[in-house]
Amino acid sequence: MNGTEGLPRLGVGIGWRPEIAGFVADLPGLRFTEVIAESVHLAHPPDHLLELRDRGASVVPHGVKLSLGGAEPVAPERVAHLAACAELLGSPLVSEHVAFVRAGGVEAGHLLPVPRSRAALDALTANIRRTRAELPVPLAVEPIAALFDWPDDEYEEGDFLTELVERTGVLLLLDVANVYANARNRGRDPVGLLDRLPLDHVAYCHVAGGEEGGGRYHDTHTAPVPPEVIDLVAELSARLPDRTRPPGFLLERDGRYPPAAELRAELDAIAAASGLEPVT
Amino acid sequence: MSTGHMSAGDPGGLEELAARQEALVRAMTAGGPLPPGFDAAAVRAAADAILRKRAGEVARAWPALAACYGDRWRAAFTAWAAERPTRGSFRDSWDFARAHRDGLSPAVALELALRETRWDYDGTGEPRLRKAAFRRVPGGFAVQVRGRLRVFGKAARR
Repeated sequence: MNGTEGLPRLGVGIGWRPEIAGFVADLPGLRFTEVIAESVHLAHPPDHLLELRDRGASVVPHGVKLSLGGAEPVAPERVAHLAACAELLGSPLVSEHVAFVRAGGVEAGHLLPVPRSRAALDALTANIRRTRAELPVPLAVEPIAALFDWPDDEYEEGDFLTELVERTGVLLLLDVANVYANARNRGRDPVGLLDRLPLDHVAYCHVAGGEEGGGRYHDTHTAPVPPEVIDLVAELSARLPDRTRPPGFLLERDGRYPPAAELRAELDAIAAASGLEPVT
Repeated sequence: MSTGHMSAGDPGGLEELAARQEALVRAMTAGGPLPPGFDAAAVRAAADAILRKRAGEVARAWPALAACYGDRWRAAFTAWAAERPTRGSFRDSWDFARAHRDGLSPAVALELALRETRWDYDGTGEPRLRKAAFRRVPGGFAVQVRGRLRVFGKAARR
């Protein structure tokens, strides 16, 4: 048992954004999308999203402001919103991040890394338990791309995530581009991390592009997916344990949207590298 | 799978974690000192990336405001926001506009005045819709009753 048994076969997907709603709606084989949970107005959900739900696509609410890795308890109203999104959209699961976004009432404005320490594992474990108690569906958590580490890390990333999964049984949302970005910015081999993760708990994966700036690779989601990330999709797919429902692979794009043909080509490249059916 | 780790953990560890997370967030967003041991250049790079992201979010929240600055928008916004933690792009855009009244185009100055007519916002708490308001705005005046806004004078023709 690893918690992935009840999930549908997701296949290749793309993150739903208002700017590309028409493109997403017109993908003939699409059965999987994701929406930023905080952008969903429960009383006025976008028609395009409801149409995807009604034609049987899996629509996964993806939270970005819950702060599961914060030392403070997660806000009940934020958990309730995630749960309500899952109910509204008929979602098979919801996802959030292994990160914190605020502390002491100050908003960071983005996802920040937690120290890889026992205290952070305690905080994450407690907040994942609080969140799952209110959710109607499973939760997957995504390790983030971080430009810096805490000075007092007690664990390597793979061991930290393995310990988190062992403590909680939580599913993983593995962002291949984050694995690539973290390894590249630290001069490490991204495949090495894949070999240390509990891949049987991966519910689905993210794929995205980023940009070099100031000597660092930034996971911006506003650029084409680099070939190295597509290669890593293939490396990961070759390592995934055999199971009846393989994890989905979802393309994230958050700005500077390219022509539809380019997005279709990226979706096809992800399908080819992961061995999943094309959706275009 | 191991299930032997369901303890609540060490509360002292959580308190210390809370303090250290707050110190890091303040260093990155509010001009606080960087806690010891971090790679200062890497943390600065992450803080700068957050500022650029915020500039983009505020530009999407109020495109005409960003358009007043053209190519200089990102620099103008990040300079102002560097030591101001975000309060969401709606309020960030509003706070920025109030702090830069002289830099606004006439159209955006009017949009700001109309926003002030519609909402009660003291700059610290959450904005609240006014039940009713009457305001002078650039080029005329505006009346708002229960969310219905009417503009009179030259401003009405914009």
